[in-house]
Amino acid sequence: MSEQLPAIILLAPLFGALLTGLAGNRDHRRCFPILISALAVSFGCAIALLVQVSQSGPIDYFVGGWNTERVPLGVGIQLRIDALNALLLVVITTVALLTAVYSFRRAGEENTEKTPQFYMLFQMLCVGLLGITVTADAFNLFVLVEVSSLTSYALVAMGSKSRGTVAAFNYLIMGTVGASFYLLGVGYLYMQTGTLNMAAIHEILADPAFGKSSTVFVAFILILVGVWIKMAFFPLYGWLPNAYSYCPSTTSCLLAPLMTKVSVYVMIRVMLSIFGADWVFQSLGWSHTVVWLAVIAILAGSVLALAQVELKKMLCYLIVAEVGYMVGGAWLANHWGMVGAIYHILADAFMTLCLFIAANIFIKHCRADRIDQLEGLFKRMPLTSTGFVVGALAMIGVPPTAGFFSKWYLLRGGIESGQWGYVIALLVSSLVNAVLFFRIIEIAYFGKNPAESHDHAHDEDSHQGQAGEATLLGGEGRPATVIPLLITAAIVILLGVFNAPVVEIIQQALEGMPVVGAAAAAR
Amino acid sequence: MKWFGLIATVFTGILLLSAVPDFAAFGDPDSPANGGLGDHPSVSQYYITDTYTDTKVPNIVTAVLADYRGYDTMFETVVIFAAGIAIFAILRSFSGPVAPSHPTAIDTSVEGDHQRIIIGTTCRVIIPVIQLFALYVVAHGHHSPGGGFQGGVILGASFILVALAKDLSAALGRFSEKRYLALGSVGILIYAGFGLLCVALERNFLDYEILHRIMPATDPIMARSHSMLGVEVGVAFTVTAIMFAIYANLSSKGRLEQGF
Repeated sequence: MSEQLPAIILLAPLFGALLTGLAGNRDHRRCFPILISALAVSFGCAIALLVQVSQSGPIDYFVGGWNTERVPLGVGIQLRIDALNALLLVVITTVALLTAVYSFRRAGEENTEKTPQFYMLFQMLCVGLLGITVTADAFNLFVLVEVSSLTSYALVAMGSKSRGTVAAFNYLIMGTVGASFYLLGVGYLYMQTGTLNMAAIHEILADPAFGKSSTVFVAFILILVGVWIKMAFFPLYGWLPNAYSYCPSTTSCLLAPLMTKVSVYVMIRVMLSIFGADWVFQSLGWSHTVVWLAVIAILAGSVLALAQVELKKMLCYLIVAEVGYMVGGAWLANHWGMVGAIYHILADAFMTLCLFIAANIFIKHCRADRIDQLEGLFKRMPLTSTGFVVGALAMIGVPPTAGFFSKWYLLRGGIESGQWGYVIALLVSSLVNAVLFFRIIEIAYFGKNPAESHDHAHDEDSHQGQAGEATLLGGEGRPATVIPLLITAAIVILLGVFNAPVVEIIQQALEGMPVVGAAAAAR
Repeated sequence: MKWFGLIATVFTGILLLSAVPDFAAFGDPDSPANGGLGDHPSVSQYYITDTYTDTKVPNIVTAVLADYRGYDTMFETVVIFAAGIAIFAILRSFSGPVAPSHPTAIDTSVEGDHQRIIIGTTCRVIIPVIQLFALYVVAHGHHSPGGGFQGGVILGASFILVALAKDLSAALGRFSEKRYLALGSVGILIYAGFGLLCVALERNFLDYEILHRIMPATDPIMARSHSMLGVEVGVAFTVTAIMFAIYANLSSKGRLEQGF
């Protein structure tokens, strides 16, 4: 059975979604157990795959069994799990599982009559993200990008009636443009290579004759721009802040950590597994330009974050800056930059999840979506605030959180390749993050307790049952929301403390697809 | 903003066209996509020469769609299903009946009555034919152009025709919301179920060959052919249900009442 894991990991949420559709409509309480068990199966598969891959190397899986000697590679669809996507699978399933726990009752409150549909879309989104990660077929990747985008548009649109739908519409337009660019690029590639399998394309493009091919060049630009739109790389970030701040809170906890990160993964996969480091860094030779674009993204994201008064909006602009980190790291064209970028994918997913869960709890229980309304939060909800602080420290890059080590590797990569602009941008952005978060922490820790400066307007619409619950738990949110937050905070710290084994796995992944290609090494 | 859009469009157009001189000639049998490159045989060449021996399906397109790349097609069906669920999630509103903003749609004058008779009779004659044809398109997909998507769309259109000719509640009476939501799930369940059955028989996902063990009087190759029909039926279910679901929700602003 273990050789079937690459298929089962995404079939579990798929069947979960279908079962929710069939059984959940009659009784909404059935949805949650189905969701949790489906995602738990996926999580188990992801862990098993990671163990298997780190012990015995990449796993190839041919859907439909099209891998006999007679059949050339690329006739059927291949799934391939190497150390890189095994790590990402663990991240996706962990984040999805934690968000699922968080959604207990929250999802029901936010989408009263449409809970089953919400959970179906939730699980189909997981199917899409997992499918993008496991596939080794350039076109199959597009199909799964469609699955994940379509579900995420709907999940965003289920938020606030007026602003959520507009944000979702913007997101839909931009997302569709991005996906179309990717598809066009794959079409151009197919024209030159006659196959859609990533490994087969890579083998064909290794021929130096393709270094000058304008079709391949255009294909690469199209794919890159498409993926950049999907990951909200500055200046293509326009859809992100509104989409992530006006959607239902469960959606933001799922989308913010995963969507941009999976897109960064796709970019790295395209660079290293399809085109290959030789082509991207030697034949194209754009790494300086793209690193400077990343520098602009980092600085712009940080400055825009400084200008925000709403907590969630601020976090959204920080995501834009973080995307700059990862793109820059991946384009430094050296080993440590790539390690840093990949490690940052993992670290950033959990940091973002941590901050978004905490922010959503603040917004829900204090009606505080503006930063200056967070006064005295530490006294009221010490656990949630602690979780938030851990996420904030990781964002700033304080050891021993994961954020420190990812920045460490990125800086090392930047220094080794002499990209001083990138190094300075990273440091400036850390400083800006420190200013941003210490301002919040100061307000939340030293600010007056709102009990003293009572805000009557807010009390009136606060729910009766909620108030009772709040006193019961000493002001904290529900256990179902606080526990995933604390687990995430623990993961952020543990990922930092145990960074050595994780980096070892990343290096194992990069052995299969070296960042410094053969041509560069020979020089 | 408009200027920016124009510049972006022009730039993309130039980019797309800039590669044209590098393209293989139109219909060139030796282009990479047709003839392959060196020791890399092209995929299309394989499909053309080997599909019939592999699957006994004369329609290559269906074989590529439902077998070689059946995994893609399953997710395309999921995309359609997700679109239906998305429309439901965004538009469907459960608030009580609201008085229509327009006067009643049914024209009660004599002239309207005549029209209803003409339209009603035509529909009564034509809808069974449409549905029969839809079933033919689904069932004959691996021998002639057609298949689950096309057949499903035709079948879905026949229900939409009922809604157009009479009203939405008449169509919903034949194909209720509960049913179409369930049918959408069942369609993918059939598709993925075929795949899972292969896994249960210890082969890879969607490796239909092994299904000859549970299909009576088939060999491994015919098992592929029959399974393709099976998954096409699943696709048709989902497409039918979602076509109608999208129409019903869009036409009535999610209220599923007499719509305009």
